[in-house]
Amino acid sequence: MEVLRVENIVKQYAGHTALDNISIGTKKGEIFGLLGPNGAGKTTLIRVINQIIGPDSGKVFLDDKPILPADVAKIGYLPEERGLYKKMKVYDQVMYFARLKGMGKHEAKQKIDYWFEKFEITSWYNKKVEELSKGMAQKIQFIITVLHEPQLLILDEPFSGFDPINAQLIRNEILDLKKKGTSILLSTHNMNSVEEICDSIALIDQSKLILNGKLADVKKEFKSNTYAIQFKGMMFGFANALFADFSLEHSEQIDENRAVAYVKLLKGNTLNHLLKTVMPVVEIESINEVIPSMNDVFIQAVQGTKGGDDE
Amino acid sequence: MSKVGLIIKREYSARVKKRSFLLITALVPLLVAGLVFLAMWFSIQETKQLNVLVVDPADLCHGKVFVGNEENPPAIFSFVQEDISLDDFQHNETYNRFDLMLGIHSNVITNKGIKGFYREPVLPKAEYYIKDKIELRLEEYFALDAGISLTEYREIRQEFNFHMASIDPDAQDMTYARWVGIVFSTLIFLFIYIYASQVTHGVLEEKTSRIVEILVSSVKPFQLMIGKIVGIGLVGLTQFAIWIVLIGFSLFFMREFVFQDILDPEVLAEAMSNAGNLTTDAMNGGGTQIMKDSALIDVIYNGIPWSTLLFLFLIYFIGGYLLFGAIFAIVGAAVDSETDSHQAMLPVQLVVIFIYVIGCFVVFNPSGATAMWLSQIPFTSPFIMLQRISAGAVHYTELILSLVLLAAAIFVTLKGAAKVYRTGILMYGKKASWKEIFRWLRYSN
Repeated sequence: MEVLRVENIVKQYAGHTALDNISIGTKKGEIFGLLGPNGAGKTTLIRVINQIIGPDSGKVFLDDKPILPADVAKIGYLPEERGLYKKMKVYDQVMYFARLKGMGKHEAKQKIDYWFEKFEITSWYNKKVEELSKGMAQKIQFIITVLHEPQLLILDEPFSGFDPINAQLIRNEILDLKKKGTSILLSTHNMNSVEEICDSIALIDQSKLILNGKLADVKKEFKSNTYAIQFKGMMFGFANALFADFSLEHSEQIDENRAVAYVKLLKGNTLNHLLKTVMPVVEIESINEVIPSMNDVFIQAVQGTKGGDDE
Repeated sequence: MSKVGLIIKREYSARVKKRSFLLITALVPLLVAGLVFLAMWFSIQETKQLNVLVVDPADLCHGKVFVGNEENPPAIFSFVQEDISLDDFQHNETYNRFDLMLGIHSNVITNKGIKGFYREPVLPKAEYYIKDKIELRLEEYFALDAGISLTEYREIRQEFNFHMASIDPDAQDMTYARWVGIVFSTLIFLFIYIYASQVTHGVLEEKTSRIVEILVSSVKPFQLMIGKIVGIGLVGLTQFAIWIVLIGFSLFFMREFVFQDILDPEVLAEAMSNAGNLTTDAMNGGGTQIMKDSALIDVIYNGIPWSTLLFLFLIYFIGGYLLFGAIFAIVGAAVDSETDSHQAMLPVQLVVIFIYVIGCFVVFNPSGATAMWLSQIPFTSPFIMLQRISAGAVHYTELILSLVLLAAAIFVTLKGAAKVYRTGILMYGKKASWKEIFRWLRYSN
């Protein structure tokens, strides 16, 4: 069952269309990457899901039911540009946001203690936010987002501002929450994070949905029929053997007599053909199909230049 | 607690805990009490000597006014028998040295009316002295005329009707009670100016620090706006309440320990029974005399309907604050930085100042058409109505109409502000133009 389902959302502003018929869905316990260049419409979509703004048409469903104002308690939102009240004490602040999400005082206190103990930051309770570093404040914001145990977590660039150690800490927490069944909508430009933790992705560009599906499927779609062949022998001979049926994209010399060549199959040729062609000239050590990175997928999709001859 | 309640609580406690709030809350009443003390003190100490020209065609007073041997009396009398026109007194150089012209017509014996015309308002102490001397002489004359003794006369005496007015027919007359109206208007102006401006800063703080992003995913923008406006307003009311208590306590303290003679009911009662012995009383400078001397003190303790004014002050403060608070919230939502906010607030602040200044002129003609209209228009009524009320120029139907109009304006303005606020708080990086603001007003969602 999909925890969040967004159907045919359209949002127009005076000068432009911000969202053009967007439909996506996330399952329970899934991390869903919401990707797109700056200004594509991601933040607008997140605001529609958060009911901060209403769509011109289309619907948002939470647990298969049309979303209601009271459902804000089921959603945790960590915005990209996030702040806290500088003069307010950390504990009071977290308590305030927890109460705004509808938690009782007692329950909120228990949860605050749990998270602060987990992050080993109980000594910050009485500090004012202005005394904290940016990374420390980010931790507080993360706690504020997850404290009320939302079914759906919307994280906009959650790792920005963290050093690698704390980024890892947050990553682990996100994976932990996923294990517990939380659906997570992750909006980020960090493609490594997407590769590492996302199960599915959607790519929005110029207010349109241009990619949507399981991460592995999307990447498969962007395969360019290229293989990485590691061999022992002369690069010159290897390149000469290829002729017009294959294209040598690029190569890396490992040592004097060994190299990796990235070869693209042209005109319906198969891997067998390639092997037959090069085996007489070099000794093959390994061969792998090149799967595009999310970074490549992103760039190609946005530039509208999908790889491969099949286009 | 409801979400709006939580927001109100946060806005309130964040501000009342500030050191600046505590400092201003404690210092202002001390300052006010100090100034009031000085004003009351000087109203007793004032010693300017008046030159009084008594126009006395019937020659009732010349040489017969008993001035005793008081050193440096508040007024010196000169007498003329011929009638002097007001125009002459005002413009003829011969009379330049006189501050006050007192007309004692031959029919004073029947109508008990004495008219005075001053160039500049006469201080209470001098006014009392003049009345005292002239009355005393006239009483003698009446007694003689009636063929009875002065004591017998005093048993049947009637109060003289002294009427003091400015020689300049265009000059406006002021009473202390009306000044109190101005003071209340000024308080409303200050509170609205200070606290409504804080709404702009509060909105901007949340906007520039992007806290608003987290907030609006939990509460509706309207809840956020109304919580902020109400929370800050309550800070203003708290401050006002503390000031009232502290100033009230200071006035009480002064009454009990500093000006205690003036207000002691026993001293007052004694003075009434001794009314016949005014000359001695006046020369002795007893407590009763000071009481009569200082109309200011009298007005402060006895002349002002404090409870009515305070109640209406609260109503108009709340109303005016909500109205302008909503507008200042719009300003906060429409701009993107503190620097921009000062620029954007300026026109609104100037309007508030302008209305206040107009209000200060209303005090001269509180029953006029301008005053009447301004006390009905919602954006001006909070500044004007209290002045008209303290001048006693308002019928209760006018008051009700004014409050109904104010409530309606608050409703419409808050609704409009909510629309602008909702869009504005999530717009970063630029200042919204008026055109944009009007477009946001039309958005339905």
